[in-house]
Amino acid sequence: MSLHSRNALIALVITIAIIGTVLYAVNYLNRQRIAELSAIENQISIDTLSLDTQFSLLETAPCGSVSENTELSGELGDLGDRLSYAEGQLGSENTRVIALKKQYSLLEIRDYLVTRELASACGTKPVTVLYFYSNAGDCADCDNAGYALSYLRTTYPKLRVYSFEYHLGVGALRTLESLLKIKNTLPAFVIQGTASYGFTSLEDLEKQFPKGALATATTSTQK
Amino acid sequence: MNPEVLAYPFLFVAIFFESFILVTLLSAPARYGRARRFVPGSITPSVAIVVPCFNEAVTLTQTTESLLALHYPTDRLSVILVNDGSKDDTAAAMAKFAGHPQVRIIHKENGGKHTALNAGIAVTDSEIVGCLDADSFVESDALAEIIPCFEKQNVAAVTAAMSVAKPSTILQHMQNAEYIFGITVRHVLSSVNGLYVTPGPFSLYRREIVVALGGFRSGHQTEDMEMALRLQKHGFAIENAPRARVYTKTPRTLMGLIRQRTRWTSGFLRNVLGEYRDLVGNARHGALGCLVLPVGLVSIFGAIVLFSNSLFLLARHALAAPALRSGVPLSYSLVPSAHTLDWFYAPLDLFPALALLTVLAAIALIAIGKRLSRTPGSLTLGLLSYLLLYGVVAPLWLMRATADVVTGTHRSWR
Repeated sequence: MSLHSRNALIALVITIAIIGTVLYAVNYLNRQRIAELSAIENQISIDTLSLDTQFSLLETAPCGSVSENTELSGELGDLGDRLSYAEGQLGSENTRVIALKKQYSLLEIRDYLVTRELASACGTKPVTVLYFYSNAGDCADCDNAGYALSYLRTTYPKLRVYSFEYHLGVGALRTLESLLKIKNTLPAFVIQGTASYGFTSLEDLEKQFPKGALATATTSTQK
Repeated sequence: MNPEVLAYPFLFVAIFFESFILVTLLSAPARYGRARRFVPGSITPSVAIVVPCFNEAVTLTQTTESLLALHYPTDRLSVILVNDGSKDDTAAAMAKFAGHPQVRIIHKENGGKHTALNAGIAVTDSEIVGCLDADSFVESDALAEIIPCFEKQNVAAVTAAMSVAKPSTILQHMQNAEYIFGITVRHVLSSVNGLYVTPGPFSLYRREIVVALGGFRSGHQTEDMEMALRLQKHGFAIENAPRARVYTKTPRTLMGLIRQRTRWTSGFLRNVLGEYRDLVGNARHGALGCLVLPVGLVSIFGAIVLFSNSLFLLARHALAAPALRSGVPLSYSLVPSAHTLDWFYAPLDLFPALALLTVLAAIALIAIGKRLSRTPGSLTLGLLSYLLLYGVVAPLWLMRATADVVTGTHRSWR
């Protein structure tokens, strides 16, 4: 075998090895991401149990002993970000991602209910947005709306944004959509209990909040 | 289809070629090439260096003086200055050397660089003839580094190690890094007889072979490439002397650079796809036929595809950005989030990782070229400008040259 043929063969083996190594590293990182999501999932299971207990305690404990922002809501934001990133990396068809999103949606609903319960029992005035979107290609403005809501959540830390994928097919989510009478015209928002549809700009979205609501949502740095 | 998918075959070829260069660099012939030294007292064949000049009054004196300062027996070295019908003060610049015993001056009607080279070769009977562009300057030991490379009889030509003379603009620094990258590649490819160009800045030839093959031709304005391909086609070898340093003036402006490189690239395409098409994929021509020329063609096509692909993705993002922002302050988009430091969000993906590897290998090859050739000066600016600019500007002349070849457009030399 000539020198250049031999070297070409070695170079080919090296090239395949390099690409194989990079592929392995990318897959390894993705597996680690899933493991991380699983760990959060376990933590959230514990938090869910804690939330149930909190519900029971609400009936007897004075309002002052229950945080306006439950610990769970802080973790929810972080998990939502990670899920969104993992979905971008692994694809929205990934079964593990879909399973985690379903569980995430259930937790969001629980947190939303606790928040409402607290508001009713203790007179707190949380600012909440329920946001319904779709990744099925039937929502042209969902990316823009999601980006604007991320900005609002960062700018107003006490604003509680609950994002739901409209077509996720979770029973509790369908019930929530039905109770709130959310139509299949996405993106859809429920701001302080009032539903609206479509997204044009951040300015228009901000106008849908009750006057002064966003200003009060800046008083705490807790997420 | 994800546009990134189009890039993978070309990234594969780039990694493969860089791996081939690095592996061959460690092979015995390349090691031997690096170890080769001129031994004082060894045979010194007669050498004539032809300097073709067309309006080169500004640099000619320095070029000629650098040749006359070469460490080589003066009775074995001559310099032939050929004035190819210059309109400036080239004749006056040449006149300063009129009485020099080693210098011969020829004035002729303008006919192109190849005719000037042939005119110079016609008046000498030296065993070795060389070419030095009148905008280039040699180190004093360059010839002594080159002569030992002619030890084998089938070696018809030897190339030198080029870098940029006193780079000042950012584009010249970029070209300097590119030229030094070329030093490594040329050194390695010569060890498997894979060179397809004998550049104007100080390539030397066995005169009798050049004459036997009919002398220089226009070669689509790339007479150095055409000659190298003709030598290869006739089964001769082309060697390289990695420490034979020669410095050349390069275009200062983007338009000047694009004009020069369009000529080089269209010359490559016209020669390789024209008269020398039978070399491509021809196993008889070894590394040149099976690897170097095919990779050269693929890389031109690949660079255009990668650039167009990147431009498309950039345009898509740029068009989507205002809509996505929808009134969100720009500062929010530009300030990195806390996530940047979290491993979970590490942007490790196949495409950027492979692209990064090809860039790192290119940096390594540039560093090796600098060390091999012992080229003085800092490469920091060169590396930075090469990394930031080359991928953006090179596709401009590749696309222009390809379009010229496809449409049959012919441009003037300057």
